[in-house]
Amino acid sequence: MISRLLRYLVLTVAAVAFVFPFYWMVVTSLNDPDQLYVFPPRLLPSWQWHNYAEAWSQVPWARFYANTVLVAALTTLLVIATSALAGYAFAALGFAGKAIVFGTVLAIYMVPSEVTLVPNYITLAHLGWLDSYQAQIVPFGASVFGIFLFRQFFLTLPKDLWDAAQLDGSSHLRYLWSVALPLARPVVVTVGLFHFVASWNAFLWPLIVTSTDRYRPLQVALASFNLVDSHQPMYLAAGALMTTLPVLILFLFAQRQLVGGIAATGIHG
Amino acid sequence: MDRTSSPPPARILTGTRARPRWSGAAAGLEGYVYLAPALLILVVFVVVPAIWVLVLSFYRWDLISSDATFIAGGNYLRMWNDPLWWKSLWQTCYFVAVSVPLGMILALLLAMVLNAPLRGRALFRGAIFSPYITPSVATIVIWEWIFNKDYGLLNAVLAVFHLPAVAWLNSPTWIMPSIILYSLWVHTGFNAVIFLSGLANIPRELQDAARVDGAGPWQVFWNVTWPLLSPTTYFVLLISTIGSFKVFNVVFVLTSGNGGVSGGPDRAAMTIGVYLYKQAFEFFRAGYASAISVALFAIILALTLVQMRVASRRVFYQ
Repeated sequence: MISRLLRYLVLTVAAVAFVFPFYWMVVTSLNDPDQLYVFPPRLLPSWQWHNYAEAWSQVPWARFYANTVLVAALTTLLVIATSALAGYAFAALGFAGKAIVFGTVLAIYMVPSEVTLVPNYITLAHLGWLDSYQAQIVPFGASVFGIFLFRQFFLTLPKDLWDAAQLDGSSHLRYLWSVALPLARPVVVTVGLFHFVASWNAFLWPLIVTSTDRYRPLQVALASFNLVDSHQPMYLAAGALMTTLPVLILFLFAQRQLVGGIAATGIHG
Repeated sequence: MDRTSSPPPARILTGTRARPRWSGAAAGLEGYVYLAPALLILVVFVVVPAIWVLVLSFYRWDLISSDATFIAGGNYLRMWNDPLWWKSLWQTCYFVAVSVPLGMILALLLAMVLNAPLRGRALFRGAIFSPYITPSVATIVIWEWIFNKDYGLLNAVLAVFHLPAVAWLNSPTWIMPSIILYSLWVHTGFNAVIFLSGLANIPRELQDAARVDGAGPWQVFWNVTWPLLSPTTYFVLLISTIGSFKVFNVVFVLTSGNGGVSGGPDRAAMTIGVYLYKQAFEFFRAGYASAISVALFAIILALTLVQMRVASRRVFYQ
C-alpha cells in the first residue's frame, strides 16, 4: 500500500515537472508585459488574449501554417506510398538479389541525416529546388522504418488471400490497393503519424533549404521570430503554442499509436 | 467491387487457372518496379551523399563557384589544427557523457515506478512523453524564457531554496548544463517508454521466484531484472549516444538569440552539429564541412560497432 502511494507520489511530481513548461507556455503567452518582467514570476496568467492577435499580425503565420500542413501531409502520403510498395515487394514478390537489397536498405538506417547535409544541399541546388516545397518533401519521401513495418505486416497475411485474388484475375497492384493495404491500416496509421509529426517538427533541413516566407515552415519561422528583439516573450510563447497545439492534440488522440511507433523506431529528434 | 465472389464456374470446370500476368524474367522485374520509388529516393538522398561527402572532403569549394580545388587531406589537416573543432568535439563528448547516463538512470527509475498496474498509467506515460513529441523549436523558445537570468522560472525555484541566481544562458559555465537539462526534459520520457516495454517482457515468475527465495527488492533488481533488461539497456544506450552526438536544435536556437553568435558565450556550447552547420552554411566551406561530416559519421559508426560487439558478448538474451 505504501509502495503504491509512493509510486503515485513520484509519478505526480514527475508528470508536473514534465508538463510544467507547457503550462508556462500558456501563462507566458497570456501575460501582460507589466507582469512578465517581475521576479519572482507570477504563476497565473492575466488573460491577455489579444496577445495572440498581436503575435499573429507580426509575421505571416497563416502562410507558415499552410506551408507546414502542406509539406507534412504530402510527405506522409509519399512515405506511405513508397513504403507500402517496397514493403510489399520484399514480402510478396520474388526477384533476384532480394536479400542483398533488403540488407542494404536496413544498413541505410545507420546513415545519420546530418552527415549528408552538404551533398544533399548541392543536389537540390542542381535540381533547382532550393526554396521550394519539394525540397522539404522528396528527400523525406522514403522511410526504412516504414518499409520494414509494411514488410513485416504483409508477411503475416495468409497466402490464401493472394491465391483467391489471383484466381479472380487480380494483379499484385490491385491486390495491394484493395486487399492488403486496407488490412494494413494499423501500419498505415503508425507510419503516417510518425512521419507527419517528424515533418511537422523538422527544423535543420528546412532551415537550410528555405530562404523566403513563401516556403518557410512554422519551426523555421518561429526560430527567426525568436531572433528579433522586439518580439517579446508573450508573443514568442503565443507563437510557440500555435506551432505546438496541433501536435499536442494529435498526441492526445493517438497516444498509443504514436508512443508505440516512435518507441519502435528509436529515432532521436 | 465484390472481392469475395467466387471465380466464374466455367473456369473451374475447365480447370484453367488465371495465368500470372508476369512470368519468368518479367516477374523478377516486377519486384524492382515496386521498389523503384523508395529506392530512388534512398539512393539519391542517402546512399550517394554518404559516399559523395567523403569525396567532397578532399576538395576546397565554396558551394557556389563552378570549380572545386582538389587539396587531398588539406581539410583534415585543417581540422587537426583547428582549436574550435577540438572544442566542439570536446564539448559534444561532455554533453554525451553527462546527459546519456543521467537520462538513462532517470528513465529507468521512472519506468520501474510506472511498471505496475496503476490507475491513470497511460496519463502519466503521456505526460512524461509529451516533450519528445512536440516541436523542439517551440519548447526551446519557452525554455529560453525559463532560463532567463532576471525573470526566469528556474531562478525563482532556486530562490525558494535560498540559492543564488544563475546566469544560465549567459555564462560559459552554465550554458552546457542548461542544454543538458533541456535534453533530459525532452528525452527521458522517450527512454522511459522503451525501458517500460523492456520491463514488460521480463517474466514476472522469475522475480517472484527470487522473492520467494528471500531476495530483497535490491537483490531482485540487481540479479534478475537488470541482467534480463540488458538488451533494452544497450538499445537505449546506443540510440541515446548517437542522438546526443548529433545535438543541434537546442544549441542552435538557445544560443543564436544573443547577438546571433551560435555556440553560446565563449563558444562554450559549440557542438559538432552546430560547427558543421556554421562551416557549411555560414562560411560556405563545403569541403571542410564535409570533412567534419565524415568525422561525425566515423564517430557514430565506431560507437555503433563497439556497442554492437559489446552487446553480443555481454547481453543476456533469454
